[in-house]
Amino acid sequence: MLSVEAFSLNIMIAALVPLLGAFTLLFLFIFEKRIDLLEKKTREIALERELQTALYNQLNQEIQPHFFFNTLNSILSLARLDRKTELIRSIETLSKLLKFKYQTNNTFITIDEEITYVNYYLEIQKIRFRDRLHYEFSIDSNVNQAITIPFIIQTFIENAFKHSFEKYVGEAFLKTTIEKRGKDIHITVWNNAVEGAEELSRERGLGLENITKRLELLFPDGKTSVQLINSDNGTSVLAIFPFILSSEI
Amino acid sequence: MKKNDYQLYISGAIKLGVSFGVVSLLARWVTGNTILSSPETLIKYGLIGGIGYSLVGALSSILFGFLAKKIRENHPGQHTIGDVLRQKLTPNGYWLMITVLILTSFHSLFVQAMGAGILIQMIFPIPYFIGLLLFLTFCFFIGGAGGMQRLHQVAGVNVTLIFAAVIIIPVYFYIQEGVYPVYDGIKLYHPYLLYIKNTDAFWFIFTAIFVFFGQILIDRASWQRMFIIQKEKVQLTFTLTGLIWATIPLALSSLLMITIFGRSFENVYSLFSELVNRIQSSILIVLFVVFVFSSIASALSAELHATTTLFVKNIMELFFTLTNNEKWKYTYFFSGVVCLCLLVIVSILTPSPLTLLFFTGNIYAAVISPMIYIILSKGVLPFIVPFSSFIGSIGGYIFVTRTEDFKGIWLSFTISTALCLLVLIYKTITRNNNKLL
Repeated sequence: MLSVEAFSLNIMIAALVPLLGAFTLLFLFIFEKRIDLLEKKTREIALERELQTALYNQLNQEIQPHFFFNTLNSILSLARLDRKTELIRSIETLSKLLKFKYQTNNTFITIDEEITYVNYYLEIQKIRFRDRLHYEFSIDSNVNQAITIPFIIQTFIENAFKHSFEKYVGEAFLKTTIEKRGKDIHITVWNNAVEGAEELSRERGLGLENITKRLELLFPDGKTSVQLINSDNGTSVLAIFPFILSSEI
Repeated sequence: MKKNDYQLYISGAIKLGVSFGVVSLLARWVTGNTILSSPETLIKYGLIGGIGYSLVGALSSILFGFLAKKIRENHPGQHTIGDVLRQKLTPNGYWLMITVLILTSFHSLFVQAMGAGILIQMIFPIPYFIGLLLFLTFCFFIGGAGGMQRLHQVAGVNVTLIFAAVIIIPVYFYIQEGVYPVYDGIKLYHPYLLYIKNTDAFWFIFTAIFVFFGQILIDRASWQRMFIIQKEKVQLTFTLTGLIWATIPLALSSLLMITIFGRSFENVYSLFSELVNRIQSSILIVLFVVFVFSSIASALSAELHATTTLFVKNIMELFFTLTNNEKWKYTYFFSGVVCLCLLVIVSILTPSPLTLLFFTGNIYAAVISPMIYIILSKGVLPFIVPFSSFIGSIGGYIFVTRTEDFKGIWLSFTISTALCLLVLIYKTITRNNNKLL
């Protein structure tokens, strides 16, 4: 036989559970749309992130062998010419270069880091080209800590070597300018070669396409562009992307 | 979708989320059975029976949720139970199952109409025939002619009324009377209600699982709603519906105890008129009466809509190529004829208390295994699978004449399950042999 306490409990539950049911329904009516929206947003963000990571990794993988084989070819040339001291120096620099490269897993780095990286590369090329190669940097002091995609300047410079300096004899002038214009950063890499310009614009290079895509991925809301400009006194590549300091991220 | 598109009649214009899905299913499942059978269960099997009734209902809906998820995955683009059966059965098997569906539909409609009849006779002073005519006309316009959109409009109002009634009225009574006097009164006049070690109640709960689950498994209206709920929310919707539904018979049982404490009663259904007499506040009387009729009306409308859809889409369309207008015409005609038949039958038969719950228990129990087999299997199934439900039902009915109800229900379930298992084993063996050859 049910005791009076158990009976009271039963009545209490029986009378109160419909309230619970009604509240559940009410809750669902008020918040279901919002929960759905939140879930959708989270899913979209996660998807986008995954997609970007995948895309970025893919692009990064594409650029690595491109750069790596060009550099190896430079070193191979030194070995063939039996320039031992320069060969050792270049291998040492390459080691630093690779160390830097494989320590960098981020989707973005600072311009300062990119310049350091480019310097390693130019050091290798300087050994190879000796006095033929002249290069200079002009960098606004306030852009050092701005972010950019890894290997952007590296790719421009690498293309200058691949399509111009390595194919045509004569003095090799290379000028890299990084400046802040309004809310954007303009990176210009100019070389004096005119002969290779046509070929370069035809091929546009694997690297330039990659850079365009990666800039779009890193700055999805900002204005980005990569242009190849041919002029009488040389060829230049101009990359434009938003100015964002690494501390702001 | 055009406004006169027949698809709009079948499925409505939108995909339902959890909240609307639950409301739509509650409007279908809080029926005359819920209102009339839960007190019947309480009186027959005591408090344990009342609680068991709620839990079994919840369990059935939750179990169906698992299958519903599977059905939605395996049968995209379908709209009714008939569509799925047509894909999975041979023509003979299909027509057999359609016959079972039509029979159970008519029985269910009849029970709802009878329930409404009983309540009209007890509560309203107007002539019985007129009351029933008004009631069925309302159902015709909502379910028969209105379609899914109209049903959903009514469902919102209905569920609001259900909760208003089952929350406010019991609380009002227990605050007024107190729990102790009710307990003492029941202990004196109906001590069997408080008896816990009630073996019959446990047998009842055990058997009710078969009946409830079988009922929801071939419920045309639930299947239609399953196909219009967003795919990823189907299971959650059925689970929540089960849990929320369970609260309603619980509250109704507690409400009924108010009317029986301290006195005896004539029959279970007279308790409702007693209840109305006991409610002194006229607002609460109106609320209770509107709740009862709105529940029965929405359930009957949902059934009428589902049966009409089944008739036009899964029977008529197989014989004739119907234009949109013709489908609408047949819909009005069929649902009108059904309502008229219900009016005539229920008017001729004097409304009398029926054993509502287990009237078609054998069919529901016998249909479980074949339906699960149909839902979970791949490919077309032989005639014996749907036919096993027929053999099971007949077996159960024959047995019932010589023994009590529950055993007949178990027997129906056992026969059809055994037959389905045999088919499954036979198919597995022949498939393995074919592989070996």
